[in-house]
Amino acid sequence: MKRRISAVLALLIALSLVLAACATGSTGGEAAAPADSSAAASGSADLVWWGWTPGSPLNEQYIAEFNKAFPDTKITWKQTTVDDYDAAIKPALANGEGVDIFEVSAGSANGGVGIFGGQAVSMDEALKNYLGDDYADKLNEASLKSMTVNGELKALGVGTVYAGNLWINQDLFDKYNVKVPTNFDEWKQACDTFKENGIIGFVQGAGQGAFNMDTYHAICDNIQPGLFTKATRGEAKWTDPVFVQALDLWKKLFDEGIMQDGALGIQQYPEANNMFLSGQAAMVMMGSWYTMNCLPDTMRANMEAASSTDEPFAMVPINFPDIAGTGNVGYVFCDIDYATAVSQNASDIQAATDFALWLGASEEGQQMIADSLNLVPVLKSVSPNWDKVVLTNPEKQNKPVQEYLTNAMANPDNPRFGGISADLNQAMMDVLAGVASGTLSSADGAARLAEVE
Amino acid sequence: MKKKLSIRNNGMVWILPAFLFLAVMIYYSILFTFNLSTMEWDGLSPVRERVGLANYAKMFKDLVFWKAIRNTVVYFAITFVVQNLLGFVFAAILHSDVKLPTVHKCIIFIPTILAPATMAPVFRLMFSPQGMLQKFFDTVHIPITVDWLSKPQTALYVLMAIVVWEFTGMSFILYYAAMSQIDKEMLEAAQIDGAGNIRTLVSMVFPGCKGTTVSLAMLGVIGALKTFDIPYLITTGGPDHATEFLGTYIYRQGIRQSHLGYAAALSVMLLIMAVIGAYFTNKANKGE
Repeated sequence: MKRRISAVLALLIALSLVLAACATGSTGGEAAAPADSSAAASGSADLVWWGWTPGSPLNEQYIAEFNKAFPDTKITWKQTTVDDYDAAIKPALANGEGVDIFEVSAGSANGGVGIFGGQAVSMDEALKNYLGDDYADKLNEASLKSMTVNGELKALGVGTVYAGNLWINQDLFDKYNVKVPTNFDEWKQACDTFKENGIIGFVQGAGQGAFNMDTYHAICDNIQPGLFTKATRGEAKWTDPVFVQALDLWKKLFDEGIMQDGALGIQQYPEANNMFLSGQAAMVMMGSWYTMNCLPDTMRANMEAASSTDEPFAMVPINFPDIAGTGNVGYVFCDIDYATAVSQNASDIQAATDFALWLGASEEGQQMIADSLNLVPVLKSVSPNWDKVVLTNPEKQNKPVQEYLTNAMANPDNPRFGGISADLNQAMMDVLAGVASGTLSSADGAARLAEVE
Repeated sequence: MKKKLSIRNNGMVWILPAFLFLAVMIYYSILFTFNLSTMEWDGLSPVRERVGLANYAKMFKDLVFWKAIRNTVVYFAITFVVQNLLGFVFAAILHSDVKLPTVHKCIIFIPTILAPATMAPVFRLMFSPQGMLQKFFDTVHIPITVDWLSKPQTALYVLMAIVVWEFTGMSFILYYAAMSQIDKEMLEAAQIDGAGNIRTLVSMVFPGCKGTTVSLAMLGVIGALKTFDIPYLITTGGPDHATEFLGTYIYRQGIRQSHLGYAAALSVMLLIMAVIGAYFTNKANKGE
């Protein structure tokens, strides 16, 4: 009897080991067989598009517009939250089914093309056929550069986002007669004045590290423009005194009360965003994606989501204040917000590619992106149609918003997350939280960043 | 005549489907995870580099790993004591002659059935300096700033308070059931011998609930080791990893940073700790 039970157990253990061996059969540098990429376009296609942004109903509107030109292609939008995207798309792509088109982003942000681009088909030829041999001249440089992995263009950028500026509630500034801050003292004074009136001056969800990196990047650019980007490329050391000074200034924002009380305990989304949109805070660190809130309908919808029933207000972008006193202001940094990749296992690669090209390289698709003010289009020939785009308060907003977008697009090569690896990203978030909370000195923080290099 | 044993008549055949299911779904996964822990892999790349035990060596030098272990130990020690003390006291009170006992039981138990995902935003708001608790302190002119979630020194204790609020109901219901099994005559005899209420609770009722306490300890160890939802949803493990647990750190490494091999090594360590925890609680149950 004992022998028989032992035999059964041995059989089961052997089965487990065989299964384990099968599952890990591609170790030791052996590459898996490439997926079939020869699928031809069919008469009709049924595709699934995965992503996190901009979210329903905009994605469905894009699909509806696309279907005017491609009526036989059915696309279903599958949305996850920004935080859950990596966890959801990774097994879905590994499984090889149910993902035809998927969103990726630059560098170490969620859906990073460096990780997920390996599952996408190369878009070089398709783009060349669509826009011609001079396609690189027609598109934003970052849309090609940041989406190229090992020499292959793995996704088509849809639009760029710029960060490094603040947005202010101009109506509140006017109401309390507060000077728009241009340096540290004015920023502090503005925060104090708003505080006296029961309003948070500047709000940041410092519990969400990505936005802390934006602020830190802006401080670094304020001290010495471009050095941050050089450090991400290994051309400068993180132990450079500039980065230590920037960490000191970052800490000073907390110590001097510019950052609101308990900033490290809240998230940028939803808390800080809600506070700004509901008029509880007068300033927030957001980028060009926030421009869409200048449209009254979009702002009203987002205000309602922030539990505010007030009327939309005039929000305008301002430069990051010159807190280092160097005079270096107006620098922003940019990334492709998201790009569209076509899965190697797409049920109809041609139809999926048609959609990616339409969204990222066609005049129609890009004009729709531009007019939504959510992103800056990657096709250089397209810009928002200001005759049709009506802002909440044209008198207060038109000039600063247009200048902001023009200035942003003219900024030199300065990636937001595009050059930051996942490990550096995590280290920077840790260092910024540690310095802000006082558990880490600026010098030690800079040294910790240098360790990741 | 000696009865001949066989797989069929000793019941082996009946447990075989469950055993097979366990073998494939659990033990295979464990083996797979261990295998993965010896690799450097991002989860998608066709190339997986075999690195031996390098992930384990890295783990023992990783300060965040040790912080997660420390947090787990502190979290278990404090939540276990407070939660079970409250549960025991509530159960004892509800066994006495109180009015509206069912209402009290519901009030104590309701937090246990609320999903942490739905409660997390509420707690983030409540413990925000712009939240309800701050407004309450301001209203009654108590000069306290509710910025505890933003401070590494206090954030963990806020999470523990939330967990105690949420799971005291579970301790209560188990102690309540255990107390129902204690012979009332024995308690009456103790009181006739002069034992007061506290003395009876400490010397008679509490030892009578030893099995429940051990079970709760085992649940507490498992709960502490697999803690994920509350810290992830409320603090995302911050600030500065002050509320990092093994679960959140495994997720961070495996999903956010795509170090699947390292995340697997952390998972193996989690399994080892769970087995050690189960061994000691089991030993305590046997009174060794």
